[in-house]
Amino acid sequence: MAKNLHTDNAPDISTVKPHFLFAAIGLVAVGILLVFSTGYFSDTYYEHHLLAITHAAVLGWLMMLIFGSLYQLIPVIFDTALYSEKLAKFTFWITAISIVFLVYTFWIGDYTVLLPYAATSMYLSLFFFIFNIMLSYKNARLKNFKSLFILAAVFWLLMTETEALLTVFNFKYQFFKATHLVHLHNHAIMGLIGFFIMMIFGVGTTLIPMFLISHKLNESLLKSSFVFLNFGLTGLMITKYFIDNQYLTIAFWLFVIVGAAYYFAYIYDSYKHRMKKTLDVGMKYTMLSLVFIIAPVTISMALILIPDGLAYAETIILLFGMSMIFGVFTTIALGQTYKTLPFIIWLEKYQKLVGKYHTPLPRELYNEKVAGLQFYLYMLFLALMLTGLILQSGIVIQIATIMFLLVTLLYNYNVWLMFFHDSKKYINERDKEILTNK
Amino acid sequence: MKKDLKEIRKVENDIYELLKTVMDPEIEIDIINLGLVYNILYDGDRNVRIEMTLSTPACPLGDAITDNVKNTIKKKYPDFEVEVDVVFDPPWDASMISEEGRIKLGM
Repeated sequence: MAKNLHTDNAPDISTVKPHFLFAAIGLVAVGILLVFSTGYFSDTYYEHHLLAITHAAVLGWLMMLIFGSLYQLIPVIFDTALYSEKLAKFTFWITAISIVFLVYTFWIGDYTVLLPYAATSMYLSLFFFIFNIMLSYKNARLKNFKSLFILAAVFWLLMTETEALLTVFNFKYQFFKATHLVHLHNHAIMGLIGFFIMMIFGVGTTLIPMFLISHKLNESLLKSSFVFLNFGLTGLMITKYFIDNQYLTIAFWLFVIVGAAYYFAYIYDSYKHRMKKTLDVGMKYTMLSLVFIIAPVTISMALILIPDGLAYAETIILLFGMSMIFGVFTTIALGQTYKTLPFIIWLEKYQKLVGKYHTPLPRELYNEKVAGLQFYLYMLFLALMLTGLILQSGIVIQIATIMFLLVTLLYNYNVWLMFFHDSKKYINERDKEILTNK
Repeated sequence: MKKDLKEIRKVENDIYELLKTVMDPEIEIDIINLGLVYNILYDGDRNVRIEMTLSTPACPLGDAITDNVKNTIKKKYPDFEVEVDVVFDPPWDASMISEEGRIKLGM
């Protein structure tokens, strides 16, 4: 009998849905904040409005989407059920409140009174998430390099948040020897590479070959990627905290880049051996995102090699952050929404009805033309935003942010279309159509 | 009353045709042309066993596909007991896709 298939372990949709909804609204919020923040892009990258937008993007949009997707994918990646759905639901609410509180605190620039409370609340919520994932891993029947990527990602998330919490309390009690900026850099590197890259790579190793339908891939590439990435990142952090040597920084950064290159090789292998030759909109986003990793890699090398004190350095740091958050992470998140959410909704609405009635395909739950338009507008946004930042052109950045807001609205249109899909209405209409054609 | 071999083959062929309407929701090709169905066994009475595989063992749509197989058969043969046996030996690969399936996939 077909028992113990992965849908047996799938969480209830009520655990997953709120994350996708919050992320979609969070994306619009990021779009609105960006439109009204064009002027701040000529300021320093740690200007408090920019920090508010960054945290709205990485927590309100990306992190929420990752939480929802990971809860759904735990049965596939770990081959076990999520440890506690109740804890996941509780974590959602505390995370949602903490994100709004934290973004508001950054927006008004209150670093001493409100920020410690907001950061503590955020720390607790992320801790609950980490706890749930770790205990799920403990019950995992699949323990391989794919699941190790997820485990490493939650470890680096803990490091990222611990660094953030200590930095926030340092504003008040000043116990660090190094400047806040050094700790801000370490927080950003651990968060962007340790958590986001590791998580995306981990989930991607399962999902990308599955969607491209490619088998018998070279798993040793994944092993090398994992080892190089984590060795490089650990070395980088030890150097930053204890040694502060530029040559070691370059050496460890190269390890990280080699780790990313191994991952590329794995995905290229999957792409080359794919049976599904035509890429749908979700996979186009995914491939674009992976190619776009070249941008932050190039920018980061420029950043390491340029002389200290160069006036343009701050723009390069901003370019690095923007290319990571929007070029790589948001691109893959937009794409993977179209690869996961339609299936989650389809399983909820049609799993019991398949074979009894005419049911739609998952991709028919959203408007493909809107998704296509959204993809091209997004590519235009990326090109304009990077050009605007390089040229320091306010008007180009302003046009780019308007493009982005349009993208967020189109994305929301499709997300809400899926959530409000009426299966009874669809089946009735299809039945009428079939009867008319007869 | 049990049917004779000719009638058994007729029902098995009919089920084979019915399963051409069961789609893999991600690949968007029916499970017969994908080569996911390894065996259709009808005992001549009211029991049917489908031996099939999935395109990947981690397929999150596995249950939806097997439910679809059961419902599709039971829609035409409401009295039948349908058993779907998911196996991964031999593992599925591209050589199992039919010519029609290859054209649809653009291979």
